Amino acid sequence: MVDPLIALLIGIGVLFASALIFWPDSGLLWRLQKRRELTDKVLIEDTLKFIFKCERNQKPATLESLAGVLSTSQGRASEILAITQAKGLLEMSGKRFSLTPAGRNTAIQIVRAHRLWERHLADTTGFGETDWHQQAERLEHKLSVEDTERLSASLGHPTHDPHGDPIPTSKGDLVSHGGLPLSDLPVQTSARIVHIEDEPELIYVQIIAEDLHPNMIVEVDETTPDRIRFWSEDREHVLAPIVAANISVVPLVEENHVQDIQGIPLDTLLVGEKGKVTAISPLSRGVERRRLFDLGIIPGTEVGVEMVNPGGDPTAYRIRGSVIALRSSQARLIKVDPITEEEQEISQ
Amino acid sequence: MEKDLNKTNQVEISESQAQAGCASCPAHNAANLQKLGVDMENWDFVVALAGNPNTGKSTVFNALTGLHQHTGNWPGKTVTRAEGGFDYGENRYKLVDLPGTYSLLATSLDEEIARDFILFGQPDVTVVVVDAARLERNLNLVLQVLEITNRVVICLNLVDEAERHNISVDDRRLARDLGVPVVPTVARYDEGLEELLAAISEVASGKTQATPYHVKYTHPKLDQAVSKLVSQIQEAFPQVPNARWVALRLLDGDERIIKAVEKGDLGELTYTVENLDGLGVDTVALKSGFRL
Amino acid sequence: MNSSYEKILKSARDLRWDIGGDFHEKIMESLYTDASRIADRAVTHPGDTPRFDLDRTIDRLVTSRIWGFPLMVLLLTAVFWLTISGANVPSGLLYSLLIDTIHPFLKSIFATLGIPWWIDGVLLDGAYLATAWVVAVMLPPMAIFFPLFTLLEDFGYLPRVAFNLDHIFKKAGAHGKQALSMTMGFGCNAAGVISTRIIDSPRERLIAIITNNFALCNGRWPTQILIATIFIGALVPAHLGGLISAFAVVSIALLGVLLTFVVSWALSRTVLKGEVSTFNLELPPYRPPRILQTLYTSVIDRTLVVLWRAVVFALPAGVVLWISANLLINGVSIAEYLVNFLNPFGLLLGLNGVILVAYIVAIPANEIVIPTILMLTVMISGATGVGEGAGVMFELESGLQTLDLLTEGGWTLLTGINLMLFSLIHNPCSTTIYTIYKETGSIKWTTVASLLPVVMGIVIVFFTAQIWRLFAG
Repeated sequence: MVDPLIALLIGIGVLFASALIFWPDSGLLWRLQKRRELTDKVLIEDTLKFIFKCERNQKPATLESLAGVLSTSQGRASEILAITQAKGLLEMSGKRFSLTPAGRNTAIQIVRAHRLWERHLADTTGFGETDWHQQAERLEHKLSVEDTERLSASLGHPTHDPHGDPIPTSKGDLVSHGGLPLSDLPVQTSARIVHIEDEPELIYVQIIAEDLHPNMIVEVDETTPDRIRFWSEDREHVLAPIVAANISVVPLVEENHVQDIQGIPLDTLLVGEKGKVTAISPLSRGVERRRLFDLGIIPGTEVGVEMVNPGGDPTAYRIRGSVIALRSSQARLIKVDPITEEEQEISQ
Repeated sequence: MEKDLNKTNQVEISESQAQAGCASCPAHNAANLQKLGVDMENWDFVVALAGNPNTGKSTVFNALTGLHQHTGNWPGKTVTRAEGGFDYGENRYKLVDLPGTYSLLATSLDEEIARDFILFGQPDVTVVVVDAARLERNLNLVLQVLEITNRVVICLNLVDEAERHNISVDDRRLARDLGVPVVPTVARYDEGLEELLAAISEVASGKTQATPYHVKYTHPKLDQAVSKLVSQIQEAFPQVPNARWVALRLLDGDERIIKAVEKGDLGELTYTVENLDGLGVDTVALKSGFRL
Repeated sequence: MNSSYEKILKSARDLRWDIGGDFHEKIMESLYTDASRIADRAVTHPGDTPRFDLDRTIDRLVTSRIWGFPLMVLLLTAVFWLTISGANVPSGLLYSLLIDTIHPFLKSIFATLGIPWWIDGVLLDGAYLATAWVVAVMLPPMAIFFPLFTLLEDFGYLPRVAFNLDHIFKKAGAHGKQALSMTMGFGCNAAGVISTRIIDSPRERLIAIITNNFALCNGRWPTQILIATIFIGALVPAHLGGLISAFAVVSIALLGVLLTFVVSWALSRTVLKGEVSTFNLELPPYRPPRILQTLYTSVIDRTLVVLWRAVVFALPAGVVLWISANLLINGVSIAEYLVNFLNPFGLLLGLNGVILVAYIVAIPANEIVIPTILMLTVMISGATGVGEGAGVMFELESGLQTLDLLTEGGWTLLTGINLMLFSLIHNPCSTTIYTIYKETGSIKWTTVASLLPVVMGIVIVFFTAQIWRLFAG
């Protein structure tokens, strides 16, 4: 019989080692796989995508910035540029490089795959928004044109990705979202968020942490060189201009805004109280959102609080005759206009 | 064979009378029913039973079939179904219990199954069981069924429970508004079943001609878009009875319907590998072996 | 593709850009607007709304802070108590009928017909005995438990249980309805896995399927009770023995519940992160259950289906067991080779070779673990005077006899405790594995559900054994 102490130590060691190897997202196995995926093909495609974006934003694409985006040395980056050029996807004139039509097509195909995959992740999987971009960055290189077509079909040919960016059509048309940066929005105007840039991730995570999402209505209170103070739905945010610049907005016509922003979250109602649904926040998306609509929770529906779980969550609501329990994370996203008791009596 | 006859009949006769073209022959699509796992041997008509969850649908089912039923799964799926039969008059009816759903927009597997059955199986009658105490919620499903087929009987169930809650439903008014027969029942105590059977047989044999109510879409752009598509669909598929519904599904990007138009076999059921995936686990990823 | 078809699809695509992304919502709005108009025209309220709303009163009671949980515990305890105590008598009857009466009767018929011993062995001692055992142990509790459960479901109480417990399950990343599939799992894991169909959110449903095995099913209760009685109950004075061993069994069941939460939590944050997650739970009105209908359907749909699957798996298991105990190579049976081969590993885990072999043979049905262990122990230790021969499963009348036999086979208190742990935490039986495959349609999730618990079990008993040896001896 093995000495128990030695067996114990070996056991702990084995557990520890397997955690080191198999731990999702940071284990050795995962890193190895990630490294293997970083082939020339991927680097070429990333190069094309980068130059495509630079051209659209009318920024010069330099070797340094390319090496930065690919996170490789400048030597390796120029190697990749040479291969890309040899394939006829890229043209060099002096220090500047630009895409050939074939290169642009490939870049658009990658962007299309990327945005469709993000749409897919947002609508038909349970991944959170901070996971979308990372995953799409890897998948965009693996989806063939046919895969992309199939994906688009299965999603009902969506038009925009979950960040509000338009998805290029299979023919390669790409329209712009036409918004302006939130940092440029005049004070006291309200606007709808049409797009949130998901790169760099550091800034994106900050925006998501503020609970800001495409289709939300915002109103700017104050703009100074160090900060932008604004309201969204029901709370105030303060962001640095550099962060706010990554949010694109389209100014709203006056009457729409009043209608959209009214209402309190459903989860603030108490047992016995009633409210009329005014809006469902765009934060609720995909299957979850459709389910709410199918249950009859649409603007104008009367919702009464029936009972609360002994622990405080979920809460059961009477919705069009049926008692349906929702969690507070869902009810929070449903905005209602409270109905006072007098109003209730009149309606009866 | 029978189906082809139907088609030619319908094309020859003017559209409004298409259903009356063959008053007594069954309307169901036998080939598709077979694919849906329904054995139609020895049965004259097939009746689908739809309804919201908790409307006493299974009580109605049991009341109609007695204990002559069996349960199983839909082909390739994990949703149970009960099947049974009954005789009425001179005909034998097969009754298929569809999953209870709030809606038919194919958001969940249950909804997809119920929708597919009504759309592709083309049952001779679809009975929608409705909870009289929760009429508004239940009518949502009824209106969706009426978009797909006009061979519908509404079973207004649980009227006793509604009365206890001081709710009374004017079934004749409802029938007039919806344009299809409405039969009040208390299935638990076998009340109203005779009338329900009579209504089913009249719709099945084509004696009752329904002019069902169609939802008005308030969205102006939507209306335009739908009518534009409808005319195109009617041109390409003159035999399709529910062009408006097909147009709506196309606009919603319903892949199953898009495929059917693409192949030109609207009305034909084609099961694809994706649909065999019981839990709706991401199919693209599975097929290409990607790590999620 | 036909050009007119293509034209339709193209205009649909173009129009979709025009209409915008909230199409589904617009349709639902129109539908409900019309539904509400039509309903308004048809519905009237002829009298005064009754002051007393029974549904609401019951709901307030069963979900109240004070009464909600006690009521729930009371009702579920009553269901379990009725199942366990109610199943004793018919189980005993079935046992004496199938095993004590029919088995010897068949043996004597075979003997008079002069049928070769090995046919008699495979058919009667192998196939028949294993199947009879499973039926005797499984049928009565399931025939009581499932109808009771279905009655509560029909009445409308179970959705309230899910409502009450969702608060806790949500913290583990699971759905409140998992409380129901878990409870069902205490009856039978295969039935529990089927019952996860009520969870309509894919992620939470997979969680419920994978963790259902941690609910101690009725095939495992007898093992727990026997081992707890002879090893743990024996530690204290006789009058306390019953209480302490009951406490030990309940602790194991609660450990299973705890593991359900822990594993659910871990799964929802790792491998299942990408599955869709939604929540909604309708609390239907209370309706008096239809008792006869319920009895009929729950016996047909649940009891017989599950029993049939168990029998299908138990039958070949009995054959395999008998053959492995009787097919000799160089004078030693296959089972003995296996036991000796696995023994060092088993001892390292604080178990032994016999237990491991029994669990491999018993993958089809956990009910036959104890009879198999006893049979193998007799075979290996060469004890005389007990048992009925190689490959013939048996149980002993008294606990003391069993304890003597097991001690002779080298068992200690640690072996007992680890067997209880391993009986809770090991791979699901083959009926359940097959059901998981049918329900998920995925080899990947079936593999996860099968391997995860057995790996966990091995790790847990290993560490228990080492720590035990370090401190106790």
